[in-house]
Amino acid sequence: MEKLLKELQHAELHRQTRRHFLQSAGFGLGALGLGSLLGSCGSSKAGEVAANSESLAAGGIPQFAPKAKRVIYIHMAGAPSQLELFDYKPELVKYHGKDCPAEFLEGKKFAFIQGVPKMLGPQGKFAQYGQSGAWLSDYLPYLQTVADELTFLKAMHTDQFNHAPAQLLLHTGSPRLGRPSLGAWAVYGLGSENRNLPGFIVLASGGRQPDAGKSVYGSGFLPSVYQGVQCRTGGDPVLYVTDPNGMNRNIRKKTIEAINEINRQTYEEVQDPEILTRISQYEMAFRMQMSVPEVMDVAREPQFILDMYGVKAGEGSFGMNCLLARKLIENDVRFVQLFDWGWDGHGTNATDNVEGGLRSKCQISDKPIAALIKDLKMRGLLEETLVVFGAEFGRTPMQENRNGVVMPYMGRDHHLEAYTMWMAGGGVKQGYSHGETDELGYYGVKDRVHVHDLQATILHLMGFDHEKFTYPFQGRNFRLTDTEGKVVKQVIA
Amino acid sequence: MLIPLLQASPWALFIGRFHPVLVHLPIGFLLIAALIEIGRRTGRIAVSESTVVFVLFWSAVSATFACIAGYLLSLGGGYDEDLLGAHMWKGIGVAVFAWVAWLVKSDRIAGKVSFGKAIYLPAFAVAVLLTMTAGHDGGSLTHGDGYLTQYTPEPFRSLAGMEPMEEKTKEIKPITDVQQAVVYKDIVQPILEARCTQCHNASKKKGDLRMDELALLMKGGENGPALVAGKGAESDMIKRCLLDENDDNHMPPKGKPQLSTEQIALLSWWIDQGAPADKKVSELTVPEQVKPALASLGGGSAKGGASGAKQKESAIATLKVSPAKEADIQALRKAGLIVNTLSQDQNLLEVSAVNAPQFSDKDIALLLPVAEQVTWLKLGGTKITDPGLKEIVKLKNLTKLHLEHTGITDQGIAQIKALPHLEYLNVIDTKIGDAGLKNIAAIKGLRSVYVWQSGVTDSVVAQTARQTPGLQIVNGFSEAEVAQFLRAGDSTAATKPVATKK
Repeated sequence: MEKLLKELQHAELHRQTRRHFLQSAGFGLGALGLGSLLGSCGSSKAGEVAANSESLAAGGIPQFAPKAKRVIYIHMAGAPSQLELFDYKPELVKYHGKDCPAEFLEGKKFAFIQGVPKMLGPQGKFAQYGQSGAWLSDYLPYLQTVADELTFLKAMHTDQFNHAPAQLLLHTGSPRLGRPSLGAWAVYGLGSENRNLPGFIVLASGGRQPDAGKSVYGSGFLPSVYQGVQCRTGGDPVLYVTDPNGMNRNIRKKTIEAINEINRQTYEEVQDPEILTRISQYEMAFRMQMSVPEVMDVAREPQFILDMYGVKAGEGSFGMNCLLARKLIENDVRFVQLFDWGWDGHGTNATDNVEGGLRSKCQISDKPIAALIKDLKMRGLLEETLVVFGAEFGRTPMQENRNGVVMPYMGRDHHLEAYTMWMAGGGVKQGYSHGETDELGYYGVKDRVHVHDLQATILHLMGFDHEKFTYPFQGRNFRLTDTEGKVVKQVIA
Repeated sequence: MLIPLLQASPWALFIGRFHPVLVHLPIGFLLIAALIEIGRRTGRIAVSESTVVFVLFWSAVSATFACIAGYLLSLGGGYDEDLLGAHMWKGIGVAVFAWVAWLVKSDRIAGKVSFGKAIYLPAFAVAVLLTMTAGHDGGSLTHGDGYLTQYTPEPFRSLAGMEPMEEKTKEIKPITDVQQAVVYKDIVQPILEARCTQCHNASKKKGDLRMDELALLMKGGENGPALVAGKGAESDMIKRCLLDENDDNHMPPKGKPQLSTEQIALLSWWIDQGAPADKKVSELTVPEQVKPALASLGGGSAKGGASGAKQKESAIATLKVSPAKEADIQALRKAGLIVNTLSQDQNLLEVSAVNAPQFSDKDIALLLPVAEQVTWLKLGGTKITDPGLKEIVKLKNLTKLHLEHTGITDQGIAQIKALPHLEYLNVIDTKIGDAGLKNIAAIKGLRSVYVWQSGVTDSVVAQTARQTPGLQIVNGFSEAEVAQFLRAGDSTAATKPVATKK
């Protein structure tokens, strides 16, 4: 008898594989996480769970009334040169072709520059535009027409000189993986304003995803319901959003209800908050089947609007993404993230440079961006929507000399000391420029703004004190700006 | 050697410019001599008479040199003749009486002249008095009349019978509405006063040019006219400003506060426009290059509120209400409305019907229990009509109201006037017409109204915008304006960029 019991025990232990151990441990952790997330949700009935999957999307209450209810964040992945577009440096012309001063190189690390590079004068022709006298180059003939709507941050700086970590730092507050992105924080904090659409939508163009991958719009340790939902720029905005042949909407509804019922039962058993996310995503997907094709259908836009953005119905492009961004904002999507790839002007080839290459990227993007600002404005959306334009870092005032060789085209290396971003609408000043760089555009010399300061400012405009807007994870409260960041009060209208 | 010195030769002017340096020596010496003399006579200090005489001697010597340098400086011209004459003779007087006072005490003369003792004190006293008045005249020549007492504070000001203090015009005041500014009086004259008239005024006409009055500026100076009306680039006053600062002909002279690029651009533009005396900015053509300079003058409250100016805080900040009942909020959510609390410290609500396109006039009853709390209301694209607006007026804390793409008309919108805190109103794609816009514009505190694709006409929009300066009326754009926008890129499209290989 004793032998039998021992054998049973042994068999039980045998079945307790590593996978089982991790599973139960995971459930335990999940339950812990849920406890902190939902507070009072101890005993759960099916009906309550449903309410909770809804409330996940409802978000919280901002600390003060938001000036920017929504955000369109335009990220030019690869980093365009501020010295060709925004930061006018006439002195740099004189230094063109001369050796870079030693003080710019001592103790510095660059992604590619080696030895003593030559200085590279600005390639664009600059002039002042609008009543505010904003300096812009001839690379951006359309942006000039909305110069008085913009607030420039001329002395941005960051800590990372490689694309992926710099993009992560900018969007998640940390150069390492694992943190929630700005859009995820925004939706977590404010919730969605439209039940039928995700609160955070991502549109990418330029042929590639940003270098840091989907983590730049991920939800990190926040419930994954807050992550950015990427939509396609052309064709069906979401793959398989239409029902297959022979499947009608009622059957689809029944299917989803059945799946959700099973999910609810599993949730009651294991209490994993990710299951709530899954339930709400199924519900959302069902509603999106109706709303997304409608919202993202540009065929109903009048021709002159399509002309303004320079797009053709059915063709995906950066311009189309701008138009879609306007349509999503019009339907109260909280956070629309645009990425456009291909701005890394090192000068290594015919497209990858700050002369013709950058010009052709601008030709694709300049008109739709200006159109977006104008379009938002005339619809009464701009004053409640914050538009942010920028990249993960800037570019050096020196010409790149990768491997000590002069590049075949005019190119600049990654630069983290100073670059330009701009914002418009949503509670920022109109026609304003904040910060200055030195005569050669190397360092910010006045009103520098770190990427953490930018994050703090955006959160402030959305109604949050970035120091109090936290999420408990692994035993401490995390925030987007980590331990840093100062709100740039001067740019707030 | 002396002959070139008596003309306005470089030597003469070189020495002459030392006048302001030398001139302070006799002032100091004479005053210290006077103080020592007083101290000696009252028995407070024990010094011999020879000490006073010694100081007096150097007073006389320095005064003489100051006079010579002063005369040479005056050869350069440009000073008010009367004031200059008074200054000169008083200065010479100082030197003469200082010498007299010294002579009558000096060893050689003291014994020979019997009346020496009698004239010592009067001569000394006159020299000191003349020092003071000559010094004041000198100050007036350099800095302009009335410089010393310009900022006399009250009550001394009225006691001395002076006019109330003029507002400071040295730096250019911000102009509230640049478009309505009179170009000469509000823009040009303040620049001239800040940078030019210090030397080109009634009392100090450098180069025989006065810039304190338009007629005199037009007349020009010894080098001919200061400006050629209609030709800014050919006008002497602009050309001089643009010269290298080290150039002798550069104005204002090196070391003095210089004109900014914007200021030069504005002066040049004014001359280009024919240097009109009483035209407003809006009556002249403003080229693109001048707009930034013009904008820098005002808080930029001109079109579109383009400026770095701070906005007035929204009324939201001051609205405090009691929390809405949870049941009322749930009823709204049940009807498909999105209800969000605006912020933690207030109980204001944002209500949106974005997911409830069927929302109609009868559903407004749902809002009434939270009438106090709702401050942002979005009813765009719903079935709401004029009768519904009558109810909406009961939401007295509304600051933002979206009524775009609805069937409302001028009759309904007239009700909205009663909303005391309304700041934002969106009526694009509605039947609102000109009459409705006028009613809307009457809402005090309203900041922006969006009327694109409604029935309003451009002329009424423009007229209403002029009449209500604090209100931004956005009428979107017509297809013609879109066509114009599309041409913005033409300039660069012409030179199609091709990556050039080095």
